[in-house]
Order: sequence, then structure tokens, then C-alpha cells
Amino acid sequence: MRRIAVLAVVLVLAAHSAWAQSCAMCGSSFGQNDPVTRAFSWSILFLMATPYTIVGLIGAYLYFSYRRSSRRRRATVPSLARPSAEERQGDLA
Amino acid sequence: MDAGTLAMPRRALGPPSRDVAPAVSNTRIAMLVVIAGETMLFAGLVGMYLVFRLSRPWPPPDLPRLPLALTTVNTFVLLASAWPMTRALRATRRVAPRTVTRGVALTALLGALFLAVQGAEWVRLLHHGLTLGGSMYGATFYVLIGCHGAHVLIALGWVAVMAALLARRPLTPRRRAVLEMCGMYWYFVCALWVFLFPLVYLY
Repeated sequence: MRRIAVLAVVLVLAAHSAWAQSCAMCGSSFGQNDPVTRAFSWSILFLMATPYTIVGLIGAYLYFSYRRSSRRRRATVPSLARPSAEERQGDLA
Repeated sequence: MDAGTLAMPRRALGPPSRDVAPAVSNTRIAMLVVIAGETMLFAGLVGMYLVFRLSRPWPPPDLPRLPLALTTVNTFVLLASAWPMTRALRATRRVAPRTVTRGVALTALLGALFLAVQGAEWVRLLHHGLTLGGSMYGATFYVLIGCHGAHVLIALGWVAVMAALLARRPLTPRRRAVLEMCGMYWYFVCALWVFLFPLVYLY
């Protein structure tokens, strides 16, 4: 297991020169300050952020809804007092 | 048996009731999933728009400019339509059927006005030479804004059906849930326009 981990780390470190490229097309077709590259970068960034934003917002909404609901339920404490004679009679009836 | 049990007589509690309403209803979760999917569709379209918008001079000098003043007024019309919907949804809790029907009908009216102005604007742009196949500027504009218009049209149809139903039949819990989903969808198309309008018309 340790050998595999070391091998993985070595392979990752050996690939450092390729980190800056997103894909073969974007990396080689345009220059570094080309407007098309910049446009693609912003677009990719936007598309990457959107799912996280959506899932985060829905998750937060569900979390706070359930928390508020459980608080409300806790606020309504069931009566543990001994039932009165009238209530007991009602139960028997 | 410990001493506490003897000291305090207590009434036996039954199992927790299953009638307790869930924190978030299933219909609401279903609508959230639909809205999340729709948002991803628009995210793809906005991604496409950003690529063309940032990679070349925008808008191209030989093409007509988008009518900003009219669309700004139209934006307020669409945003204003969310208010009667909110009133209608609030009125469902008070069980005030007339307010509900009136609110939903007014929402449909404002939505129809928004679409009519958008349609008139498109006809004018087509006459000025901004077509779908003529340029990338026209293509991105019509695809992005047209997709939103199609969503408004669907939402408008839903709201109109709800208005017609509520005018004739009583407000049942089931109909109330459907109206709530309809309201969520309407808020979604309004919120989407708040994002699309500055991106396409102002940026």
C-alpha cells in the first residue's frame, strides 16, 4: 500500500509541467493572453461554479427548513402530567 | 425499576403521530429539482454566451443595438408580477379565495404584457437586420433570451390555467400545493431575468 502511495506521489510530481494546461486544444491552439483563451477560462469557471452554487443553496435551504421544523416540534412539549379524573373518565368512555 | 418511575406517575405516550407535516413538502423538493435542472440548462447557455461575448468585439459595430429603455421598463413589469403571486400565496394560508384568484390573474396579465413587449421588440430587431442566422451576436441573443421567453410562456400557461381553475372551483389543499409549485416556477423565471437582463443588455 505504501509503495502504491509513493508511486502515486512521484507520478503526480512528475506531471507538474502539465498542470497549467486545461486541455490539449485550449493549451496549444491559442496564446496565453489570447481573448479566446480568456473567454473559455471564464466560461469554464462559471460552469464549474454553478452546480456547486445550486447544490449549496438547495442544501442550505433544506438544512435550515429541517432545523426550524425540529425546533418548532421541540417547542410543543407533550403534557406529562397525571390526567385529571374527568380526562380518565373520558378515556374509559 | 428505579425510584424515579415510582415517584412520578406518568401517562403512557403512544408512538409519534404520522400526521405531522414534513419540514419541506415532497412537491416543493420536486420543484427544486426541476428548477435546479433548468438552472443548469441556462448555465450552459450563459457559458456559451460568455465565450462569444469575451472573445470578440461586442456588440459588432454593424448590427443594431438592443432597446435598453423599453426592456428596462419590461423588466419592472416582470418583477412586479411576482408581487401579486406572493399575495396570492399568502392568501391561500388565510383561505381567502377571491384574493388568491385575483393575485394569480394579475400575475398572468403582467406576464402576458412582458411577453407581448418582448415579441414586439424582437419583430423590430428582425426588421433592423438582427436575425438568428445572420451573426453570432443575433444567434446568442435569440437563443438565450428566446429560451427565457419560452420558459416565461410555459409559466404563463400554468399561471393562466391556475387562474381559470381557481375562478371556478374551490381552493383544495391539493390545488394549493399546485399553486405553490406554480409560484415557485414563476419566481424562478423572474429571478432568471434579473440575471440575464444585465448580462445581455447592460454588460
